[in-house]
Amino acid sequence: MSESVFTDATKMSGDRKAEDAIVVMRGVVKKFKDFVALKQIDFAVGRQEVVVVIGPSGSGKSTLIRCINRLEEHDQGEIIVDGTELTTDVKNIQEIRKETGMVFQSFNLFPHLTVLDNISLAPRQVRGMPKAEAEELSRELLERVKIPEQADKFPAQLSGGQQQRVAIARSLAMKPKVMLFDEPTSALDPEMINEVLDSIKQLASEGMTMVVVTHEMGFAREVADRVVFMADGEIVEVGTPTELFDSPKEPRTQKFLAQIL
Amino acid sequence: MILWLRRNLFRSIWDSITTIVFGGIALWFIWISIEFVFITGRWEIVEVNLKLFLVGRFPEELMWLIGASMVAIAFWVAAVAGGSPLGTEPRLRLGERIVDYVRRFGLIFALAILLVVLSNSMESLLWLGLIGVGVIAGRVVGRMRRDNKIIQKLPGIIWQPMIATPAIALVIFTLLESTLELWGGFLINFYMALISIILCFPLGLLLALGRRSSFPVIRVVCTTYIELIRGAPLFVLLLLAGVALEFFIPPTISPDAVFRGITVFTLFTAAYLAEIVRGGLQGIPSGQIEAGKALGLSTVKINSLITLPQALRSVIPAQIGQFISLFKDTTLAGVALNLFDVMTVGKVITKQDDFLGQGLIYESLIFVGLLFWVVSYVMSKESQRLEKRLGVGIR
Repeated sequence: MSESVFTDATKMSGDRKAEDAIVVMRGVVKKFKDFVALKQIDFAVGRQEVVVVIGPSGSGKSTLIRCINRLEEHDQGEIIVDGTELTTDVKNIQEIRKETGMVFQSFNLFPHLTVLDNISLAPRQVRGMPKAEAEELSRELLERVKIPEQADKFPAQLSGGQQQRVAIARSLAMKPKVMLFDEPTSALDPEMINEVLDSIKQLASEGMTMVVVTHEMGFAREVADRVVFMADGEIVEVGTPTELFDSPKEPRTQKFLAQIL
Repeated sequence: MILWLRRNLFRSIWDSITTIVFGGIALWFIWISIEFVFITGRWEIVEVNLKLFLVGRFPEELMWLIGASMVAIAFWVAAVAGGSPLGTEPRLRLGERIVDYVRRFGLIFALAILLVVLSNSMESLLWLGLIGVGVIAGRVVGRMRRDNKIIQKLPGIIWQPMIATPAIALVIFTLLESTLELWGGFLINFYMALISIILCFPLGLLLALGRRSSFPVIRVVCTTYIELIRGAPLFVLLLLAGVALEFFIPPTISPDAVFRGITVFTLFTAAYLAEIVRGGLQGIPSGQIEAGKALGLSTVKINSLITLPQALRSVIPAQIGQFISLFKDTTLAGVALNLFDVMTVGKVITKQDDFLGQGLIYESLIFVGLLFWVVSYVMSKESQRLEKRLGVGIR
């Protein structure tokens, strides 16, 4: 791996400088027993930047973003989120999780709570927001993801696409500085993918900083400021959507794109 | 009718033979039972000793306390049940509702009537009426909690103790007014079970969480405790408690047998409950915990707001089963700790002068069994209903 590729991943799009970075990873290594999932990752995300991470399964994409909010603990290197370095200190981890929202492949809504309670739970319990205010915020967010009428239903009564939009609203309720999307449309029926992607696009247009792991190449091309291609636990190639999709340089990128496009 | 018989009972030769054989056995059994209950059985032993069965040698002048406690407990239970969220099942019309109530509580009502008839006193009828009033009042209060905007605002941590206070206060007052040696009969079994259930629940939860803790000391302590208790026979533990509790508390206190019983039942059931709850927790997908973490919730809040509520709902039948088992096991305490509980009463009264050597142990024990069976059956049925109701919205 050439040195230039690594600097690529830390160089943000547009005219963002190093101090604009909201997430910085330096030399991050993550091992699962003997398997090395992330090999010396250097990576940065700038404010209001939309970074899409693509790559074959098992390439470490999900592990990468799960390290950012400590759902996985990295073994080496440093991760800095919004100026705070991730350490083993519980308080510190909690602080960082407050600032990062995450949307999962399998939605992970709380099945025993109504849609409204799912969304208002974290603002009330973590931010100490009064109930009435939290519920008003939740209704506003439901409005934004275009399902205000589902507020009093339980997750199981909603379609997959609606559930995922509730999950997006739930993360937004914490007013995070970064949103992490872990294959948000992979568990959805094809006809529901677009409604979720539309919600994410809308967020992007409102200036939310996002890291999106996805297989939706059309979406990546349309929304991403930067596309990161990962394989075998490494960042192989980074570029604007046009650069990466239209003229990939690395053979592994070329092979991957040829397979899926 | 004939068609139904043919289709379900006499479809083939083998079906017919099975039907006739088992039907015959069942009919014979029913006949024997009816004959015993209505013809050969000599129930005057129960009638005469009814008070002993129910409360032992509890002083007559304090009986009103027990009645009042029962009213308060009925109020408490009804208030909790009445305040539970509505299920999705359609609202029943009045007629259907009566049928529903009869099916659910007819049995316990019939037992209550039977006891009143056997006691042959106006006073007991009055108390039954008051318990009925307690249930209705509890129901109304529970409804208010659900429907009244202002009362809804009260946090559960204030509301729940509020509706429990009369019951707890009366039970404690009864304890203070009488001495435990005076307690006896079914009252002892009922109170021992009730108090143990209330105490073992939080302990069981903590043990379950402790066993899953990532902190090694807590995990080892909890696991050791659970496995030790679960590996020992309850009867042995009860016998041990009769002599060995002094190891742990200063000998000057010298606890009463009822206290010893409650301690053992609490510790014993908590260990089983812990395993039941742990089973429920293991059924919660890891994504639920991850979602909680990603939102910035602390471990305590993830447990109390996300995993435990889901886990507890999924193990309601097993939990109630454990409580029923505890309730029935209280009869062991009578033997092991020399308590004058309902079981002991049942045996002792056959040695009274009037009934000595007449083989009335059957009547006596059947009555004891009936008391336990009715309460256990209603608990079990209600737990199934509760499970269905709380299942709203879950996958």
